[in-house]
Amino acid sequence: MAKHRVVVLGPNTDDPLYHERAEMADLDVEFVQEAPKSEGEAIEAVRGADAIMMGGGWGSEQVIRAADQAQVLAVYSHGFNHIDVETATEVGIIVTNGAGMCAEEVSNQAVTMALCLNRQVVQTTNQLRDTGDWDRSAFMPIEPIDEQTLGIIGFGNIGRQVARKLGQGWRMETLVYDPYVEPWIISEYGVEQVFEINELCERSDYIIVVVPLNSETFHMIGEEQFDHMKESAYFINVCRGSVVDEPAMIEALQSGKIRGAGLDVFEQEPVDPSNPLLQMNNVITAPHLAGASTRSAWLARQRASQQVAAVLRGQWPSAGQNPEVASKLDEKRRMPGSQGKITGHGE
Amino acid sequence: MTDASDIRVLYLSPKNRPGVYTTDLEQQSRAAKSAGAEFVVYDGDSDGELIEALKDTDVAMSQGHRFSPELFKHMGNNGRCKGLVSFGHGYDGMDLKSAVDNGVILANTASFGTEEVSNQTMMHFLVCSRKFVLHDKLVKSGTWTREHLSPMGHIAGETFGIIGLGDIGRAVARKALAFGMRVIAYDPFVSSWDAKEYGVETVTTPQDIARQSDYVSPHTYLSDKTFHMINDEFFDLMKPTAYLINCSRGPVVDEQALIRALQENKIAGAGLDVFETEPVDPDNPLLKMDNVSVTNHYASYSEVAWERANTQLGEEAMRIALGYWPMSLINPDVRSTVEPRGMSVSWEVLLAEMGK
Repeated sequence: MAKHRVVVLGPNTDDPLYHERAEMADLDVEFVQEAPKSEGEAIEAVRGADAIMMGGGWGSEQVIRAADQAQVLAVYSHGFNHIDVETATEVGIIVTNGAGMCAEEVSNQAVTMALCLNRQVVQTTNQLRDTGDWDRSAFMPIEPIDEQTLGIIGFGNIGRQVARKLGQGWRMETLVYDPYVEPWIISEYGVEQVFEINELCERSDYIIVVVPLNSETFHMIGEEQFDHMKESAYFINVCRGSVVDEPAMIEALQSGKIRGAGLDVFEQEPVDPSNPLLQMNNVITAPHLAGASTRSAWLARQRASQQVAAVLRGQWPSAGQNPEVASKLDEKRRMPGSQGKITGHGE
Repeated sequence: MTDASDIRVLYLSPKNRPGVYTTDLEQQSRAAKSAGAEFVVYDGDSDGELIEALKDTDVAMSQGHRFSPELFKHMGNNGRCKGLVSFGHGYDGMDLKSAVDNGVILANTASFGTEEVSNQTMMHFLVCSRKFVLHDKLVKSGTWTREHLSPMGHIAGETFGIIGLGDIGRAVARKALAFGMRVIAYDPFVSSWDAKEYGVETVTTPQDIARQSDYVSPHTYLSDKTFHMINDEFFDLMKPTAYLINCSRGPVVDEQALIRALQENKIAGAGLDVFETEPVDPDNPLLKMDNVSVTNHYASYSEVAWERANTQLGEEAMRIALGYWPMSLINPDVRSTVEPRGMSVSWEVLLAEMGK
């Protein structure tokens, strides 16, 4: 019997697991692929696992309690809002995500939406294609983006890349709201930190939200925040739908509290075709593909595999999302090679 | 609402450390006072007295004060004082393992002098590249000659090799990139895509840095892993036209090997802010060489940087005392030996939470 049992939950059970096998080649690992159709099947699948890898799906309290023998639960995605992290911490499981695996892609989507909204590319295309009308007045005013203010909510990997691209590249004045970011990262990126989210809303012409979805960020953008935004402001969401109170956003767009929105994500996905957001001329949309590229597809697997490999080697993983679990780990799991948040000899 | 009125912060004063250390402690005590906590100063030098003082203290901060590992046994999980914040970047004087074993949280004043140290590095790099030391001396002694110019690099297009891509390494990279240089880095703790964010190419061994670079600059902390990591073998791999810059810690470089490399023309020169022995021995041959620029370990200094360090010292201490993680935790293994704490949060936000 292999030393480590790694259970991979996915839509099918015949994946070659190239990256998983490559990253753990030096470890005595047995891979088990399961494609559970129900929570009950997921519970059975994870029993006895030393490590669990998954995309979306099966992260409920019951599943995690059934996996109490596991040392690590690695999700392939950036978001891990489908994982009951509190329970994982309680039973001593390190939760890792794919931090950085699609930061370029998601930040590009945010920048694309900001530029499209500024230049009204979608609206001009629609008008020319649908009516052939050359009248430009409907698109005015178009503000010079290099004289406008960018507001970034959440200054992690993605937020920093947005700052580098739009802030430095397009020379926008950049505000950041993130109560957890170190002050020296703020100065490194040459941005201004604000400590009240409403202040960021009041001062920004483009508001881009890039935070993980959790109990603290659920509906963090609601009626109050839209009330604080400029009528000329554009709001862009490329992280998770439920970070925004969607009915409040619909109301803000319908009543002209803000000028428009760029949305890659929705509270309900796939989005209901009758959702009023899809009917608005000042809203541009995408079907939750901000992270997609031919690279992020394999980088996600490589990163998740490196996280699992690090933990199985007794190291603290570079993308551990519940550091407080460390004090819950018992003696045998204590991480001798821990280097805090930046490490990963496995990388 | 968090309340700080019961908190006592102990400041360990560097007695007999004159010069820039001596201030009125306004900056160091700013965070404690604005939160309504008590700020206490100890300026003696007795472990017995310190043990007594730590009993009535929630957190300690040290500005160059001697701190014996024995004291950790009276802190952390064994006492009221939960942590120690030390002034500066390096923490080579700290016994990290003892702190972890006793559940003592350690922090430094990370990044306070990032701009200053990276600027000092760029200064030494330019001084070396442009052969400033020699020509300054020649011109001042009345000799006007261009016979010593060659070989001299173009800088743009040359390779700057960084060992350790932390805050300072990244700032150096940003500045070297502005000179049009190719920047490579060795840092086993930084992934290639994080390096890419900074426009830096990663290599997998220190030897790659030695072989490829026209300028080599370590920006690591000093530990048993980095002690003498630049040694005879490293100099043997360097280009004869390459320079070594060191603004990190003296013992990262084997100084005798450096002297040999310079005397045997294995490398073109060096720029040094730090030495294996400080203050440096006036007879050290490095001080006599025309291709070596030297400064007396002040790379991190500016008034702004030191004010930042002083205030950060106080803010980190207050985070620890209030039950949060510090922003610059230097012994992350301690997460395994202490109870869960709140995520480190901006000082401004903490103050607001306290209603201040």
